[in-house]
Amino acid sequence: MNESLPVLRMEGITKIYRLGAVEVPALRGIDLRISRGEYVAIMGPSGSGKSTLMHLLGCLDRPTSGRYVLDGTDVSTLSDDRLAAIRLRKLGFIFQGFNLLPRMDALENVALPLFYAGLSRRDRLRRAETALQDVGLGERLHHRPSELSGGQQQRVAIARALVNDPAVILADEPTGNLDSTTSEEILALLDELHASGRTIVLVTHDETVALRARRTIRLRDGLVVSDTSERLPERQTSHGTVRNPASFIE
Amino acid sequence: MIRDYASVAWQTLAANRLRSFLMILGLVAGVAAIVSIQVAAAGMASAVTGLLAGMNTTAVYLFPSERQPDLERALLHERDVALLRSLPDVAAAMPFFEESSYVRAGHHNVLLSVGGASEVRFDTSPLMYGRRLDPADVRGARSVCVLSAHARERLFPNDPDPVGRSVRIGDRRFIVVGVLGKARIGGIIPTTNILVSDVAIPYTTFRDDFARGQPIFAIQIFPVPGVTPERLGREATQALGAAHGGAHYEVFDLQSVIKTIDGFFFVVGALVTALGAISLVVAGIGIMSIMLVSILQRTREIGIRKAVGARRLQILVQFLVEAFVISLIGCSVGLVIGLAVGWATDTLLISRLSGVVAPVPWLQTSALAVGFAAMVAVVFGTYPAYRAARLDPIEALRYE
Repeated sequence: MNESLPVLRMEGITKIYRLGAVEVPALRGIDLRISRGEYVAIMGPSGSGKSTLMHLLGCLDRPTSGRYVLDGTDVSTLSDDRLAAIRLRKLGFIFQGFNLLPRMDALENVALPLFYAGLSRRDRLRRAETALQDVGLGERLHHRPSELSGGQQQRVAIARALVNDPAVILADEPTGNLDSTTSEEILALLDELHASGRTIVLVTHDETVALRARRTIRLRDGLVVSDTSERLPERQTSHGTVRNPASFIE
Repeated sequence: MIRDYASVAWQTLAANRLRSFLMILGLVAGVAAIVSIQVAAAGMASAVTGLLAGMNTTAVYLFPSERQPDLERALLHERDVALLRSLPDVAAAMPFFEESSYVRAGHHNVLLSVGGASEVRFDTSPLMYGRRLDPADVRGARSVCVLSAHARERLFPNDPDPVGRSVRIGDRRFIVVGVLGKARIGGIIPTTNILVSDVAIPYTTFRDDFARGQPIFAIQIFPVPGVTPERLGREATQALGAAHGGAHYEVFDLQSVIKTIDGFFFVVGALVTALGAISLVVAGIGIMSIMLVSILQRTREIGIRKAVGARRLQILVQFLVEAFVISLIGCSVGLVIGLAVGWATDTLLISRLSGVVAPVPWLQTSALAVGFAAMVAVVFGTYPAYRAARLDPIEALRYE
């Protein structure tokens, strides 16, 4: 696959919520390109539209206008079921609250997406086991979420996000519910994933978390106010000076 | 795939035992009511048909109506038997004679029913010894008799095969030519006596010896194959009425009696089934509301499933399968209880009265339970499942 082609491209994306007669614009024209293998943090204060952007990136919702191409597919106007199919094949989610199913053990939780993909039970469990070993939980296959620590639960969630070999991994405040030591473990795991070539998009309000990413996109009032993607080559050539990205736009 | 859905459903139901128990309670009651009454009604019906299975149910009996101005004119005689015999739809006709009479054999003197008979058989009692009556006995008005098992026991308690010996009825002597065995039916109700005499002699002999010159009480006729007893009765009363200057005759035939009894059981069964169906509807509504609550509680789970890529149909199927599994459990438990109650009614009550052991309709009722389960699941599970399937994943994930 061509590495230079963006795996994720948004053009003029807007999202307007209707509350009765009032129209509330959450996103007011987002342009975004993320290339394969990038590790991107999306930051912004609450109300900046980052959750909305996350939902759109995660194909959980459709934009009011604009174009969104994910891994070669225009997903801006797909039906709910087609979006579900995209989530199934191209996306992996990591949530702040882990979002594991409490009555299933780790193995079954990780195997869940494969169930919806129509794999046989044997194949599902085999691949889920591999994914759990990859995140260092090979010894905890049959523990239920309630029998695992927060960090372990998040590892299970990461294994679930990886099990269908997605084009993009979306992480929504993945360390928000964890103490600092455990957070560090999870962030190290994300670093590893990035190093192995995964594309990761991380939404956070935590600067230290965002620093782990190679690129930071800041939102305010439904617009991108800064994007460090342009600084990347500069950081390699100069001394890591951070220039205001707005100066590039003129 | 469906096995996976079923195992997920089972896990969910097992994790919420009280809720599951409440869900099946109504179903159990409804299905148990329906099944038990079905089994009991089937037992009743087979008891009735079993009682009458020993008899020739195509026989039609004609006798003068009591309520008519000139009863004298309507009285039946030998020539009426000949008239009916000449009708194209009549296979056989003979006067109906039966009387209770003391029958003597040696020092045994027993009150038994003595009946006029012919080669036409009325019952399925097996022949144990000798032969049955034949046309020559009837033509020759011979003094021969065939004993029922009961008559043989009373008259010849020490001789299982009294063929060739004689009995006395009044001042007449009859040679025993045959002995019948017990019919394979007969419980507390004495069935063998209904239309089959203890001592059967040729009806011609009966007429000559015991009923000479008297009017005939009733005439029995049998239809040729393909003619219903109703039609035969209609034709016969018309013919008799015409011959007797417009006199009226009553018709009695066993099949109408059977029909009346069957109709009664059908109505009772239908009523109880309707009541059971109402309780099924109530149970279904209960299942629906509990499912709606359960879906509310599991909103987050649905959100997670959708986020990882479950399509609407897959969520719908999951909840439908859950509804089906719970219905199947409820209906199966109800089925077992219903079969047990119905079976107990059959064996302890009906069989004891009638001597007929009704077959329990296992296959039919099992199919019924699965059918009910599917019906309840589809009718009452679809709406909650549909609600679950169209939940917005973002809202569902946010739900606490």
